[in-house]
Amino acid sequence: MNSFSLDNLQSLTWFFPEIAITVGVIAVIIWDLISAGLNRIRGIVVITLASLLTSGFLSLAYLMRQLAGLTPSMSLFGGLLAFDPFSHLFRMLFAFVAAIVIVFASPSSETGAGTRKRRGAGEFFTLLLIITLGLNLMVMSRNLLMIYLSLEVVSVISFVMAGFKIDNRKSAEGALKYVIFGGMASGIMLYGMSWLFGISQSLDIGEIGNQIAMATAQNGRVPLVILLGVVCMLGGLGYKISAAPFHMWTPDVYEGAPTSITAFLSVGPKAAGFAVLIRFFEEGVKATTHYDGRLTPWAMIAGLIAMATMTVGNFTALHQSNIKRMLAFSSIAHAGYMLLGFCVFDQQGKQAIMFYLLTYALMNLGAFLVVAAVAERNGGNEDIATYNGLGSRSPVLAIMMAIFLFSLTGLPPFAGFIGKFYIFASLLHVGGRWNWILATVGVLNSVVSLFYYARVVRAMYLTKPDDKRALTVRVSWGTTIVALAVPTLALGIYWAPIYDFMTASLLIGR
Amino acid sequence: MQVGLVHYLTVAAVLFGFGMLCIMTRRHAVGILLGVELILNAAALNFVAFEHFISGGVSGQIFTVFIITLAASEAAIALAIVLQVYRTHRTVMADELTDMKN
Amino acid sequence: MGESVVFYLLAALTCVSAGIVALSRNIIYSTIALLGTFLGIAGLYIQLSADFLAAIQVLVYVGGTLTLILFAVMLTAKIENIRTSNTARARLPAMAVIGAMLLLLGMVANSTEWPIKIAKATPSTAKLGHAFLSEYMLPFEVGSVVLLGAMIGAVVLARRAVKRDSERE
Repeated sequence: MNSFSLDNLQSLTWFFPEIAITVGVIAVIIWDLISAGLNRIRGIVVITLASLLTSGFLSLAYLMRQLAGLTPSMSLFGGLLAFDPFSHLFRMLFAFVAAIVIVFASPSSETGAGTRKRRGAGEFFTLLLIITLGLNLMVMSRNLLMIYLSLEVVSVISFVMAGFKIDNRKSAEGALKYVIFGGMASGIMLYGMSWLFGISQSLDIGEIGNQIAMATAQNGRVPLVILLGVVCMLGGLGYKISAAPFHMWTPDVYEGAPTSITAFLSVGPKAAGFAVLIRFFEEGVKATTHYDGRLTPWAMIAGLIAMATMTVGNFTALHQSNIKRMLAFSSIAHAGYMLLGFCVFDQQGKQAIMFYLLTYALMNLGAFLVVAAVAERNGGNEDIATYNGLGSRSPVLAIMMAIFLFSLTGLPPFAGFIGKFYIFASLLHVGGRWNWILATVGVLNSVVSLFYYARVVRAMYLTKPDDKRALTVRVSWGTTIVALAVPTLALGIYWAPIYDFMTASLLIGR
Repeated sequence: MQVGLVHYLTVAAVLFGFGMLCIMTRRHAVGILLGVELILNAAALNFVAFEHFISGGVSGQIFTVFIITLAASEAAIALAIVLQVYRTHRTVMADELTDMKN
Repeated sequence: MGESVVFYLLAALTCVSAGIVALSRNIIYSTIALLGTFLGIAGLYIQLSADFLAAIQVLVYVGGTLTLILFAVMLTAKIENIRTSNTARARLPAMAVIGAMLLLLGMVANSTEWPIKIAKATPSTAKLGHAFLSEYMLPFEVGSVVLLGAMIGAVVLARRAVKRDSERE
């Protein structure tokens, strides 16, 4: 597939998106030191946005080059990283998500950027850029060492971000739980990696894939030692996408962290986790759903995790009173749906996950932005009760929230429906009894999810408000919310161009 | 008996087991983090042993260098967070941190 | 012969200390016992002809991480109940689970036919240095980004805590 790999110097030409972010990191640190007052925060925001947009557009340029057939897919830095449309798509997504989060965070008091003294703002944006760099490296990694390293960049910085609120009990508690689970997950993953290294004598996932294929062919089934290694790795990656049973940290971290960071964590690292999972299982395990006419252990394990994740997420979300906590469980459930697409280990499943991630990013970021806007006007109270009568207090905001929530449920004509449709289609396309079971559980779960999303909608429109005053939203947030709601609606009605673009891009990676 | 690969794997497995025991049973947050350190060391020992007995080259040792580096940076962050928790909660017992519940 | 005696001594040091880490009721003892594990592993690294790793294991782990952990313990423990500071819960079921896991691991390690071929042991420091500046250049740079991020992060978290304390007084 990747006929050639470039050495360190040649690779730099194809590494500009990451270089742009690194330059941004350094520039923010320096600017933070040399400027003062209002200029300081404005400059930081401008630098951060500029480096992210540069990174996103450079990735788009690479993708266009590849689509035009000017540049083949290849390996960078002697095989450590991949240069392919799959990673370009993800890098564009990350630049977009991080840019939205910056708009989100810059006037917020939780991050220090919106407070009078703006203490901590420079650090906040520096760390956000470093996480984005980590995410970019994650989706490109083609080597166990790079997977571990980039995952750890994201983890270590996420711990700090989760505990960013000053002297806040919930924030500190969430961060501690995050660190403990994160340390455990990366330890288990490393242990699994060490076994895989022992079997294949290589850190390159392509080489590992060859060894696994050989051993499987020799024994007629997957040897236990490989199974053990891969399952341990699933532990580390499952933690990043918050799949059951590694989801325990999710609600506490999401509830405690600043809302902008919650939004970022629920989309960015999750998407990158899926990218690593897909790449590792495609190139490293060379997984298929059936082997010799029998279901492979991979399909079985992934299916079980997917079912557990959906069910835990949806059923626990039913009785939450804090909206951030409810959305945390909803994000666990969504990881479950995406895992359904992962279970089929083929091109169509990959496309379905890509499309789902795009729609999920739009609607989830939108929902969290509304949460931030409402919480700010209610003195930081995040209870679902504060949404009572939002339909009359702020009609536009309520409509936007309803769009995001219905889309998260997966109702037509919203983008979430199309995303789910492609996921289930990819399952049924492969067919077989197991995939039918998975699809059924998925549909039943979607029905359950309607109950808790509809609770918020009911509170907004059918419950009388305690406080009848109109609720206003700052302009930058309002604009962004509308900008996210429009594609959420539009992609539900006319999605073909985007989907075809993704399909075409993913095909040249083959 | 000649000391071979399996001996080292056993030592690493014992470390891994004790590390998991720490994580599963400890109440003190630092106690849990000690368990994480044990697991990381188990993995690192595995890497070096596999490299010595099987693969040759340097990639196993390189990996271990990174494990040590990242363990140190993770520990720094983790302990800063532990201090913050102590300041807000006046306790670091994991099972007493129950501000957030379902 | 001598070599295997040394191995068994080091392995015993490593495992017994790890046991104390996991089972002691006193958090200070647990932390100090970790020192034994780290030193034992450093010894094992030397046996595996990884001399450079042994050195940084001692420097970074013993000199850095362990000191850090001790500081954290001292700053957070209430001195009057230090003796029972590291209590455990649900130990028996956890031990059962882990026992089963170890059995599985041992079985797999023994039943797998490892393609063993021992290369002649050579000092690894020069090889590692070379690899860091050629093949593994990128991870080396990314590692420095992690350290930068961790440094900023630790300062952000710790500085605030200290500042708030002094404001309170």
